[in-house]
Amino acid sequence: MPLPPFKSSTPLSMGVELELQLVSLSDYDLTASSPDLLHLLGRKPFPGNVTPEITESMIEINSDVQHQHDALLVQLELVRDTLVQAGERLNIGICGGGTHPFQKWTERRIYAKPRFKEVSALYGYLAKQFTIFGQHVHIGCASGDDALYLLHALSRYVPHFIALSSSSPFVQANDTLFNSARLNSVFAFPMSGRAPFLLDWASFERDYFAKMEHTGVINSMKDFYWDIRPKPEYGTIELRVCDTPLTVARAAALASYLQALCAYLLERREAAPLEDDYLVYNYNRFQACRFGLDGTLVHPQTYESLSLREDILTTLRRMAPYGAALGGTAGLEHLVAVTHEGSDAHYLRQQFARSGSAEGMVAAAIQRFRTG
Amino acid sequence: MADFSRIVTAMGWPVAIILAWLAGEVLHRWTRLPRISLYGLVGFLMAQLMPDSFSSGASSTVTLLANLAFGLILFEFGYRINLHWLRINPWIAVSGLAESAATFAVVYLISHLTQMPPLTSLLLASLAMSTSPAGVLRVINESDSAGQVTERVLHLVAINCVLALFVFKVVVGFWVFQTSGSLPQAVSHSLIELGGAALLGGLLGWLVPALLRQLGALAQDGTLAFAMGVMLLVLLAHALDVSPVLATLTFGLAARHSRVMLSRTERNFGAIGELLAILLFVFAATALEWERVLAGAALGAVLVLARFLVKTGVVMLFARAGGISWRKGLLTGVALAPMSVFVTLLLEQTRYVGIVLVDELAALAAMTLLLEVLGPVLTQRALIWARETPDEEEV
Repeated sequence: MPLPPFKSSTPLSMGVELELQLVSLSDYDLTASSPDLLHLLGRKPFPGNVTPEITESMIEINSDVQHQHDALLVQLELVRDTLVQAGERLNIGICGGGTHPFQKWTERRIYAKPRFKEVSALYGYLAKQFTIFGQHVHIGCASGDDALYLLHALSRYVPHFIALSSSSPFVQANDTLFNSARLNSVFAFPMSGRAPFLLDWASFERDYFAKMEHTGVINSMKDFYWDIRPKPEYGTIELRVCDTPLTVARAAALASYLQALCAYLLERREAAPLEDDYLVYNYNRFQACRFGLDGTLVHPQTYESLSLREDILTTLRRMAPYGAALGGTAGLEHLVAVTHEGSDAHYLRQQFARSGSAEGMVAAAIQRFRTG
Repeated sequence: MADFSRIVTAMGWPVAIILAWLAGEVLHRWTRLPRISLYGLVGFLMAQLMPDSFSSGASSTVTLLANLAFGLILFEFGYRINLHWLRINPWIAVSGLAESAATFAVVYLISHLTQMPPLTSLLLASLAMSTSPAGVLRVINESDSAGQVTERVLHLVAINCVLALFVFKVVVGFWVFQTSGSLPQAVSHSLIELGGAALLGGLLGWLVPALLRQLGALAQDGTLAFAMGVMLLVLLAHALDVSPVLATLTFGLAARHSRVMLSRTERNFGAIGELLAILLFVFAATALEWERVLAGAALGAVLVLARFLVKTGVVMLFARAGGISWRKGLLTGVALAPMSVFVTLLLEQTRYVGIVLVDELAALAAMTLLLEVLGPVLTQRALIWARETPDEEEV
């Protein structure tokens, strides 16, 4: 399948996708109930969009194209309320979080849809271990060139989004010591990581995509599991590193931060991105996954060591005028509070300590999703 | 030779359990049929071959062990019931009440039409309301199912068992006090007895989690403590002459709502739970006699069919209102088929008041046998047709 042309869309428009966990209220383990939930939701118009995901214990919701933080938040809250209500009628708990803390991947069931069955056949246990839950944020771009410019200019800020959204400290019933253990699962896929350093759409299509397609390794953009990838059919770039936060408020805040950053980067006042920026990329990414807000970054161009928390706060301050212009001040303020109070991963560890069990942690996540 | 026959008699139970287990494993692997169906079948055949080895009184060790096994299953069962859900989605409770009432009415009508005495008809109708919680839970755990049929079957069974228990006690009370008492007296007596059982279970369901929390060993020691709680409760219920069924069910329910979690590895209470369950299902079929089953086969089959159609139809009727498809509603009704362990133990317990219904009523013997073997198969098929079990090719 050749690469579709890059469809121009309203610059800085945004859309959010959230992968959510379906949990049994008897034992707080994941439960294969997406067919039942989708059946019930299918009876009434849904305030957004809801789709099955690869295993039957997850669903994905997404917002419409939005331009402002507040409108996005209103829609996400509406979607959440509809979901929670349907879940209650069916005795299913719904929550955020990048991983389920104690599910066993061997027990997952692949959703009956040809593409999922193919992926499962190709990747074997990786597909079931892919029972992880992420937030994807789309930002509209006027052209493919803009998209690729933003994609690479954003690379330096990727650790911010990892640390701010981190909500996956536990895997298979153990504390991993990571704040976002979810991204380690993504890294196991051969087509994961960063996009190749190409800044214009024509050469991306000709010198990279067409060649890759010719090798037979990939068929479409869907086969790339990059941290940020262009989505030509929507005319967007898609940031994929975030864990699904425990609340939709945080999901909306992360989207408005990305929107403000893109507005700032498109002014092209910052030094242009270079291939060498990626020298420190994986290290910085690891720091954010492992230590969250307490991580240390190496600046890709000055090689200066920075506290991740400080770097986020500095950037949030710099984004304030962009946020104000785009109506995203509330979102940015939400994230300032996160740097003080700690991420969702921190909250989950607190709940584990308080309740003494991983089940108690899931119960707290369900409660937080309903109200936050 | 006298010694030899004594040994054979003594070895009846262990041999039956081993044979049942072997038959269960081998045939389950070949045919994927539920193991418990085969346990019942082996128990029934063994009891026909060696009736002396399997005679058991209400206070025999085996009966006690069977009650304990049932108690463990009921605890786990109660633990999976979410009262909050019944409040939020009232259609579950409505369909539970409706299917129980309709089953009662239809079974009573049919037995009345066949010239059965009214009180016998009432007892039979009350027993037919119930679905075997043991059969359903074992099949759900064995097939590792999850989804709306699974969840709804569990909640509907809890409702119809409690109702069946209540009505049965009322009828028994009426029967026993027929000469001296009245219906209100029978109802209040039955309510007091069930209330006492629920209170006992509820108290323990609050106490054990509180104790565990004090010990600070929630995750590790929960299973053992709950198993001991069940043991205590079953014996206490027997001593106090209240229903051990309701007591252990409430124990599980209260323990769940006191928010201490069982981890999944302790499903079925581990290996000892498995052993006791085999004994339970073998036991449930040993009380039946071949001649009675044959004599009651025709009426039994009619009643089984009527009960099946009523339960399926009524549950399906409320499916869409309750938030699921007609198809899943139908399958939920089908999955309610098992009926045996609950009935056998209940009757065993009431033998002392002079009610020997299984012995008197051939149709009930036929129903029990048919549904002990066929019921779990229907539940299992319903779960598979509802696509709530893992794909077999993936296992």
